[in-house]
Parts: sequence; C-alpha cells; structure tokens
Amino acid sequence: MDIIVCIKRVPEVAEIDLQVDQTGKGIQEEGLVFGVNDWDNYAVEEAVRIKEKHGGKVTAITVGSEESEDVVRRALALGADEAAVVTDPQAEGSDAYAIAKVLAAAIKDIPYDIILTGALADDDSYAQVGATLAELLDIPHATLVTAIEIEDKQVKIKRELEGGMEEELAVATPALFTIQSGINEPRYVSIMGIRKVAKIEVAKHDLGALGLSPDQVGSAGSFITVEKIFPPPVGEGAQILEGSPDEVATKMMDIFQKGGVV
Amino acid sequence: MDFLEKYELYACLQCGKCTGGCPVSLRAPLNIRSLMHEVLMGGSPEVALECPGLWDCTTCATCTLRCPRGLEPSELIVGLRGELVEQGNVPKTVIDALEGTFKHGNPWGKPRQKRTEWKEDIAVKVLPEEGEAEWLYFIGCAASYDPRLQGIPRILCRVFETAGVSFGILGTKESCCGNEIRRMGEEGLFEELREENTKNFNASGVKAIVTTSPHCFNTFSTEYELDGFQVLHYTQLLADLIKEGKVTFSHEVNKKVVYHDPCFLGKQHEVFDPPREILRAIPGLELLEFDRSRERSLCCEGGGGRMWAEGAGEGERNSEIRVKDAHEMGAEIIATACPFCLLTLEDGAKTTGLEEKVLIRDILELVAEAMGFDNV
Repeated sequence: MDIIVCIKRVPEVAEIDLQVDQTGKGIQEEGLVFGVNDWDNYAVEEAVRIKEKHGGKVTAITVGSEESEDVVRRALALGADEAAVVTDPQAEGSDAYAIAKVLAAAIKDIPYDIILTGALADDDSYAQVGATLAELLDIPHATLVTAIEIEDKQVKIKRELEGGMEEELAVATPALFTIQSGINEPRYVSIMGIRKVAKIEVAKHDLGALGLSPDQVGSAGSFITVEKIFPPPVGEGAQILEGSPDEVATKMMDIFQKGGVV
Repeated sequence: MDFLEKYELYACLQCGKCTGGCPVSLRAPLNIRSLMHEVLMGGSPEVALECPGLWDCTTCATCTLRCPRGLEPSELIVGLRGELVEQGNVPKTVIDALEGTFKHGNPWGKPRQKRTEWKEDIAVKVLPEEGEAEWLYFIGCAASYDPRLQGIPRILCRVFETAGVSFGILGTKESCCGNEIRRMGEEGLFEELREENTKNFNASGVKAIVTTSPHCFNTFSTEYELDGFQVLHYTQLLADLIKEGKVTFSHEVNKKVVYHDPCFLGKQHEVFDPPREILRAIPGLELLEFDRSRERSLCCEGGGGRMWAEGAGEGERNSEIRVKDAHEMGAEIIATACPFCLLTLEDGAKTTGLEEKVLIRDILELVAEAMGFDNV
C-alpha cells in the first residue's frame, strides 16, 4: 500500500494580532512561527499507521517556499520514507486549482494506491486542493474522512456528516481522501527524530522540471485571485470586560444574573 | 554505554529508601525501587515503558537524595520518558507542551511577542539592546504568561529599583529554560533551549543571573555550562539585600505564615534559610513551620512536567494535604517561592474548600505588602 501525503506549511496564528501586509493581499509574516498544517499532521500520521500495518511506502509532498522543507522533514521524522518539495516563485498567487495542478504533475511518476491530504488548511480554509487533485488524476475521492480501513482492492472509510452523523463507504483504489482532524492521535516528533532524518535527501523540483509552464500556475493559471485581505469590521453588541481575573469574573456574574442566565 | 549502565542499575541495593521517601508512591502506581529492579532484570528500558505511573513522578529528587549508593532513580524516570518521547508515545498534553516550546519558546504555546506583557507599564531595560546591567533577571515562562503569576516579576522589579540593583531582562528573546522539558524526556529540545539561552546570556553582557523560579535556577546552576556566571534564586539575592539594609519594610503584615519549601530550591539546592530570613524580617509576620519542612518538605506535585501531565494518581493530592496541614496549625497564609508550587497549592486550597481560610502567596507578594507597594 503506497501512500502519498500532500502537506502544507502554514503560519501559527492563534492569539497573534495579525497585520495585513503592504500589498493588502497577504499578512505580515515577520515574527510569525510556521509549522505543518494541523489537518495534514493527522494525514501523515494516518499514512504512517497504514504503512506500519500493511507495508508499503509513504511519500510526503509539499508546494511552497524553500522553508517548506521543514514540514516534509518533520513528516520524514514521523515515519514517511521519501519527500519532495516543489518550489518556484512563479507558483505564488496560485489558487487551489493551480496548486492541485502542480501536485498532480509532481506525483505523476510516483506509484500510489492512496493519496491523503488534510481536509483543509489552517490559513485559507478553502478545502479544495484534495478534491480538485482527485479530479485532475481522475480517481475517486472522499472528504472529511474520520476512519480508514484497508481491504483487498478497496478501502472502507468513514466520513463526517452534518448533525453528528457519519457515513461508511467502500472506495476502489487508487483513491484520494481528505483527512479530518481527530482521525488518530498524531505521535510526537522529537528533535532527535528530526536530526536523525537530516541525511535523507529531499527531492526538489521547480515548475519546469515538472513540465509545467508559467501560465498554468500563479494567478495566470488560477480561477480565483485574492483582491483584498482585511479584518472583519467590528460589529455592535460586544462588550469587553477589563480588570483582574477576579474582577472580570464578578462583572460577568453580574451580567449573567441581570440577564436571568443564572 | 547502555541504558542499565547509564543509570547504574547494577549498583542498586533494593533497600527501598527511594520508594519510602517518594511523595507520590502512596497515591500513584509508581514504585521506583521496583522499577529499578524491573529494568535491571528485563535488561532494557522496554519492560518499564508501560508503567502507568511514569508520568506521576514530579522529579522532586527525594529518591536520588536519599539513595545510600548515590544512584539517581529520578533520572531513570527521565530516561524512560526519553524513550517514550523518541517513540512519539507521550500524552497529548505533553505533546502540546513540547511543541509549544519548540515553536513559541514556552510550554503553554503562547506567542513570543506576548512574553513581556507581564511588565505592563513598568520600565525595564532589555539586554543588551537597551544598555548594560549587573544582573540579568530571568522571568521564566510561568511568571511571564500566567495571569495569576504576572504580578510577581513586577514586584521584584520594583524591589530591585528601590534597592538600586542594576538589572535588565532578555525581553521577548527569553526562551523556556528547559528544566521541565528535559524532565519530560525531550533531551534534544532541552539542548536547543540551552544553546539559545546561553547565547543570549553571553550577549547580554552580564555575569550574574537571578530567577523567579527554582526550576530555571536549578537547570542554569546544574545543567547549563555557564562558565563565570553567578546564578541565584531571587530569595538568595533578596535576603542579602535585606541584610545590607538596601531593602527595608515599612508596613506590618500581621499574619501567621507557614513557609512551603519548593523541592527545586530546598531539597535539591539546600536553599532553606534565605526564604525564611526574608519572612522573618517582615514586621508583624509570625513564621510557622510545617512538620514536614526543609529537606523533608512534601512535594506539591507541580514539577517534572506535572504541570502538563495529569498522572495516574488517585485520591488526595499532596497540595490538599499541605493546605489542610497549614489550616490545622493555624496558618493564615502558605508562603512559597516557586510559581508551580503557588499554582498547585492554590488549586489545593480551592478543592479543599479552604481558599478563604488559607491564602497562598509568593514571598514577594508579602514583601510588596511590607514595602507598602500598591497596585501590585
């Protein structure tokens, strides 16, 4: 069972006061910490678990800046066998469709039974790359996958539905699944573990090497271009309580009592 | 050197002094004497990795201090956790703490940019960018980020200011000291933190470091290689400032106060007297002693990564026992000098329903009262 996992390097933005950059179409990256997209981490863990149980090879691939090598190195330390990074300044401004084209070109010579991606990315939350990639490769796909069980020639999976329901599907391989967080408990990747894979060579490709022309990627090769990024306008009705934790708690209890909540 | 030799397991007498003194063996499935034996007989750490009490150990080091052969059973626990870390098989809360430290420099995973929010409007020099100083004050992660603790470094800064101590901080360059990280078994991450902090210490231009936390104090003193640096816990420096007459108290604190010795300050470094000297110097304060005090102090269970690992122990927590003991002897306040002790004891005061009868305070909070500081 050979598995390809597509992962993305994203900024950690929890509790950060994000600032829009000078172009108005991105965020200021200075001082931000980057890491693997949370959903992708579950996807890598799932791939390695399947390999540990059924054998085969796991390949981690990312499209992004040169720094993106960090996230595939981490995937190698987690248990992936091979890794590739596609880096090209011309790929900047790509939408999900263009990224899926790059990924499809990058994996065309790699044998696989299953492709896993995260269900969506922490940064832009499009949730489109997985499904688009499956269409480009002309293979079946399922999104928001919460369980995978390998059978002969097919895979039994569970998908998350609305209202707490799940559905179970049998999918013929090769197939692509976008992984929902919580499908497993990703293991810890130690610093020693990352040091141990330092000598494994990561394949590096630019667009030319993949046979892609500049007009197939970036904004030229995309359906969607970002026009503007901005914080949502401040709405009415929110009240921010100030003071020590004790004072804030007291004020909050007052509000609850006056409102008849408690 | 193999695992058995590294921890000198062949030398263990199986006398049981380690387990006899262990503060968690009565409430958790952890028997360190028997663990030493199991690993020795099994010939490798593998046999002990399933031990359910492995995350109960607080690395208070009572076992290590009591061992008649000079062995270090508490280090065996750290070694076993290290095996689990390398397998990736550690509790989720520990993963979050380790990844938070790797990414943001603190086990709570709070943004580095917010590391100096504790300062509020206090003016403190950042070294070396904003000048020179004699002392580097290392705030530590807990006091930097936890709202209950952020006032403590503010008080110490004001005390230094009053006493004319020349000091500065690393500001947002400060990273976790790594004491707890190492004890959760992440040796590689500890090495990276040590390297980064050492580089910043060297660049800061100081030759003396003072810490809020006994945990930072411990690792800087014994696990960093800080040639030519003096490292003190704040209680040591403050006791000296009081002796020299540079810190004086103008207000009475008419309370019965019992002092709780933090393990990483007391039993591990024998800093027993400076905290007591500070408390005795406060006018009006009546200092009481726990039956279990100084080297016999009962661990609060906040160390060794326990802030991020619940452990398997059941029943009454040590912090609850501590609060009840304090209440029975008529103490109105438990004073301590460690951020983790303060938080765990405060939890104990809440869960025993004694939070209004026994207050938990850092020594500095009583110092602030005695110096007449307002708004701290």
